[in-house]
Amino acid sequence: MRKFWCAFFVFSPIVAIIYSIISSMVPSLGWWFPGASVTELGQRIDNLFYLILYIITAVFIGTQVAMGYVLWRASRSKDERSWFSHGSHSLEVIWSVVPSVILLFLALYQMDVWALFRVQAYFPKEAREAPVAEVTARQFEWRIRYPAPGKKLQLKPQSDDLYDVNDLHVPINRPVMIQLRSEDVQHSFFLPHLRVKQDAVPGQIIPIWFKAERQGIFDLTCAELCGWGHYKMRAQLTAEREAEYEAYLKKLQADQNYDGHATPSAVAKKDE
Amino acid sequence: MSARVWRLLVMVLASALAGCSEDASQMRFAQNANIAKPVHRKARAVVEKTLEEHFGTPLDSVAWLKLPVNYGKAEGKVKSVDGRSLTVDFTQETSDLQSLNSPELNHAGLLFTSGANQGKSFLLAGYDASDKSFELLTTLESTPAEGDQFVVAGQNLRHGRKLYARHCQHCHGINGDGDGPTAKYLNPRPRDYRLGIFKFTSTNKDTKVSRDDLKRILSQGIPGTYMPAFVPMLKDNELTMVIEYVRWLAMRGELEVQLLKDLKNDYAADRAKKEAQETKASTSDIEKQIAKQLEEYVANPTEGLSAFVENVTGDMVSAWESAEMTDTVIMPPVPRVPDTPESRERGKSLFVKTDGGKCINCHGPTGRGNGFQTEDFQKNDATGGFYAKRGLHDSWGEPIKPRDLTRGIYRGGRRPIDIYRRISQGIKGTPMPPVAATVTPEQIWDLVNYVLSVPFDSASPKPAKSNSVAGQPSEQGNAN
Repeated sequence: MRKFWCAFFVFSPIVAIIYSIISSMVPSLGWWFPGASVTELGQRIDNLFYLILYIITAVFIGTQVAMGYVLWRASRSKDERSWFSHGSHSLEVIWSVVPSVILLFLALYQMDVWALFRVQAYFPKEAREAPVAEVTARQFEWRIRYPAPGKKLQLKPQSDDLYDVNDLHVPINRPVMIQLRSEDVQHSFFLPHLRVKQDAVPGQIIPIWFKAERQGIFDLTCAELCGWGHYKMRAQLTAEREAEYEAYLKKLQADQNYDGHATPSAVAKKDE
Repeated sequence: MSARVWRLLVMVLASALAGCSEDASQMRFAQNANIAKPVHRKARAVVEKTLEEHFGTPLDSVAWLKLPVNYGKAEGKVKSVDGRSLTVDFTQETSDLQSLNSPELNHAGLLFTSGANQGKSFLLAGYDASDKSFELLTTLESTPAEGDQFVVAGQNLRHGRKLYARHCQHCHGINGDGDGPTAKYLNPRPRDYRLGIFKFTSTNKDTKVSRDDLKRILSQGIPGTYMPAFVPMLKDNELTMVIEYVRWLAMRGELEVQLLKDLKNDYAADRAKKEAQETKASTSDIEKQIAKQLEEYVANPTEGLSAFVENVTGDMVSAWESAEMTDTVIMPPVPRVPDTPESRERGKSLFVKTDGGKCINCHGPTGRGNGFQTEDFQKNDATGGFYAKRGLHDSWGEPIKPRDLTRGIYRGGRRPIDIYRRISQGIKGTPMPPVAATVTPEQIWDLVNYVLSVPFDSASPKPAKSNSVAGQPSEQGNAN
């Protein structure tokens, strides 16, 4: 009967260990996850996650094995008595110091990634100086404002600004910064393939930068429950070559100056 | 086990199963005070029956082939017949035939256009894409010959209904009356399709909205309102389905409103009471008489209900069809006048002239949407009296504000051509009038140039920081 109970209670740690091993392998197997990051910084963020995942997997397996061992040993002999560790000074030192060292290591190890990702002073200079677009979240869409080709994005809308909705175009292979705003409630600007996620807060302009290294169309979704139509905020990020990006802006400009008679470039110049 | 435990168990089971099946949904019918309420309830029952016959319910919708709605059509020829199953060849098919497989196939009907069954339509039970065969719901009286032609319709409606239910219904309502569950929290209110009027169109002032206009609204959204953009969430074919469903709902609503308006004359809600007073006859006798008259009206083939429906739909069909013609789309005859300070100045002087564009009356001297009309009592064309609230009203009877042009938010689009069209043809369903008759195209372009410059015009006074919205506009407006 002892053996039965031992097996009974060891069953769940075994399942948990198998589960944790599988889940630590999941990203590399490509299950469910959006695949390798499109940005280098995203790859470094992934690495941080994996590091933490490996540490906790190791700790988890260790504790489960220890628990299974205790059960198994206790089931073997009736005579062996358990001993109580309560009040053991050295044990307390060990289980306080070891996690603290791990936490301290993690806190220091991630600092440069965090600074690069969030602290504006560490953003790449070229991105910081010329934001490519202003993205305004509102219930339930993303409104995008680009400066006219060759101009800088201003805080206030300009007469030659270009507008689009739910489709953010950026050039690849250079760091770009966007200004994130919200018109109504809190939203969250989420680019899963680029590992970028930032809350949009009403009344604030929050800069975000990333450097797409692959062209493609990626999901842009809202990651903060913002109302009943939250699911409707499904937009896309189009990362494209510099020439295509410029052509897109040109087309947007031509579209926006359309008067039914074409020759949009001529119209564009009149505003100067 | 005690009754309480049982009840708990049943509740847990019920909540586990909730949402598994689609509830039968019913089309709503007009309830408004001004359209439906003055009509006798028996006459309203007639209207409801007529609509149900021609449009069905949301889950069992009818593809009324008379309407200019693209129901998702496939045309073909019969190859062979085996009992109720028809093997066919398609001459023209939609990309979405696969969806005919769905077991909840509604009134997707198969209509023979030649042969022994010409003109007869049959409901479908299913479609097998592998060998291109249709299963009919009923048996055929006369066997179609090989080569008989047919049309199948209805897929767009069925899928459009699903998409509409998921994305649109909570604001625009199950029958497109703009009164879904979330509608009451919104300002401006969601569009009520049933008048068949849509505000932001490229067509001229007398023409309805075109499919392209609806598509533009769906893909761009309407800034300044709660209407979001639905692209890229909805794919191109899904947009088509939603648009066709919305047009279908609008036509259903139009027919409903027209029928109610017509029946109001003879079958007013208070008719029995009035006549009883006048003739001293008993109310129940008059009620019986009304019922009898209605029966005759429904039965009369030449001057009755069917003739009226025929008439109304005839007009409706041509109105919706003409919106798709290129000659109803407004294209400026001259290119945009160069956007120079002089042009803006000319536009501005037109804007403020009370015998010119008259823009100032509503939009105010600086374009802030605070003209004197916003403080006046306005005439209600529907009742002949005045609105109870001061300010402008739209065709739906809701208060409406002239656009504040300093904000740079353009609901119907910010392209010069969009603004040209709105100035030239007005905005349907609103007090914004067309000016094309009194102002030249060049002058309209001057106005466009001025209007587009207003948000950036440092000379025009900016709104004060205070919240006194009510106080300040009237003074400026009345001064003119």
